[in-house]
Amino acid sequence: MTWIIKLVMFICIVPTVILMYILGFSKNPGKKNMIMGVRDNPKFHEGKGQEKFDTIVSSARKGGLIITAIVVILSIVMLFLPVNGGTLLAWVLLVFALFLVAVPYGKGNTELKNLKKELGITKSGVTYTDITSTNTVHALKLPWLILPNALALISTIAAVLIDFGVFGVTPAVEKYALTVMSLSFLFIAAIMIPIAVMMDNARNMVISRDSSINANYSRAKKKTWADLFIAMSWANALYLIANSVLMFFTDSEAAVLISTLGYTAVIMAVVVIGVINQRQVENRYERDTELELQDDDDNWLLGMFYYNKNDTRLNVEKRLGYGGTINLAHPAGKVIGIVSALILIGSLIMIIYLNVTGQLVV
Amino acid sequence: MIIRIDEYSDVPIYMQIRNQIVMGISSGELKPGEQLPTVRALALEIGINTMTVSKTYQLLKQEGYIMTDRKNGARVRENITQSGVISEENKTELRRIVSEARLSGVGKDALKKLIDEFY
Repeated sequence: MTWIIKLVMFICIVPTVILMYILGFSKNPGKKNMIMGVRDNPKFHEGKGQEKFDTIVSSARKGGLIITAIVVILSIVMLFLPVNGGTLLAWVLLVFALFLVAVPYGKGNTELKNLKKELGITKSGVTYTDITSTNTVHALKLPWLILPNALALISTIAAVLIDFGVFGVTPAVEKYALTVMSLSFLFIAAIMIPIAVMMDNARNMVISRDSSINANYSRAKKKTWADLFIAMSWANALYLIANSVLMFFTDSEAAVLISTLGYTAVIMAVVVIGVINQRQVENRYERDTELELQDDDDNWLLGMFYYNKNDTRLNVEKRLGYGGTINLAHPAGKVIGIVSALILIGSLIMIIYLNVTGQLVV
Repeated sequence: MIIRIDEYSDVPIYMQIRNQIVMGISSGELKPGEQLPTVRALALEIGINTMTVSKTYQLLKQEGYIMTDRKNGARVRENITQSGVISEENKTELRRIVSEARLSGVGKDALKKLIDEFY
């Protein structure tokens, strides 16, 4: 059954790394508002500035392409390699290797910031707020988000009760396997709800002097986020329920792995559709060029991590990719950042430990 | 209505918001009785402290441009008291603007035209 696990990892890694490359390193950087987390500036496209700008961007793009190609090639090779004790660890390490794509991005970001200083580009601290639509533009229909997650909760409660013998029936799989699986996917649901609500409450963007255009633009963007989270919640809940039924009636590893494969494919498809929808929204609306752009590049560490002590917001729109990210200077942002880093490092150490002690087998 | 905040301006942020709300009421962008965002919502939207927005609203209320109550939040006043006089503070500011315009070679007619446009 190892080929299914390999296929699941392959479906997770390859589209992700390609998406990261496409979103991070634009083909036509001169036509974008943001280049590697730095706001475009007319001075980047004049004389020597253009020359240096082109060198920085093409070098970062090349670096990104090399890392993407290595990850894709390694994924293909590992798909066909025979399985041994280190196979799963190798795949997990490949997942962590995805972060390497961010290295040329961060390097390009730092070099562009230095170029700004060199070209004497002065900061502009102008921000616009549309008070007509403050806190009124929302797209998330909460019942549609709560319903699938409520079903996931009911399924998990049923799994726990079955495992503890309340119903007097015994599942086909070993004891507590049903509970562990259900709780893992319920945890994903528990994370998804606050993020979806947070994205729906994100600050409205001002792209025009016309309030109705700003409201429509923000609503359209929030709708794509809301649809993404609702679709992911449904996929998560349906997988949890289907898997519970499978595990209750059969101990077939093959059936569970095939449903996992389907789940992974659905999640990846949902993410890709979400990105396409966001791009369509961006293309449909044009920013009023008379509105000054706020230069807050220095608040974006490596163009990816937002750290601004003067901003009281917790969530802001991402610069790399689509969606939102947290303000690491916010007290809650600090906690979330530290916990996320600990989870990432901890899971990597745990996987390596399990592999070394021979407990991680495929 | 769009509010423009300049972080590097000499004018404090609460005053920048106050000035633009007054301009919005005067131009008709903010209509009499129109609901203003709550202190918390506006602070979150701009990304500033709630105390700053609270200070703006208190000032606007004190000056008679808005009214606030616990139930309805802040609203533009239906009938703004018209004293018919320009405050001493604004007179000083106007004198500074006229002086600077004259020193820059802007003619009286051009200045009057500008006043007509803004009025």
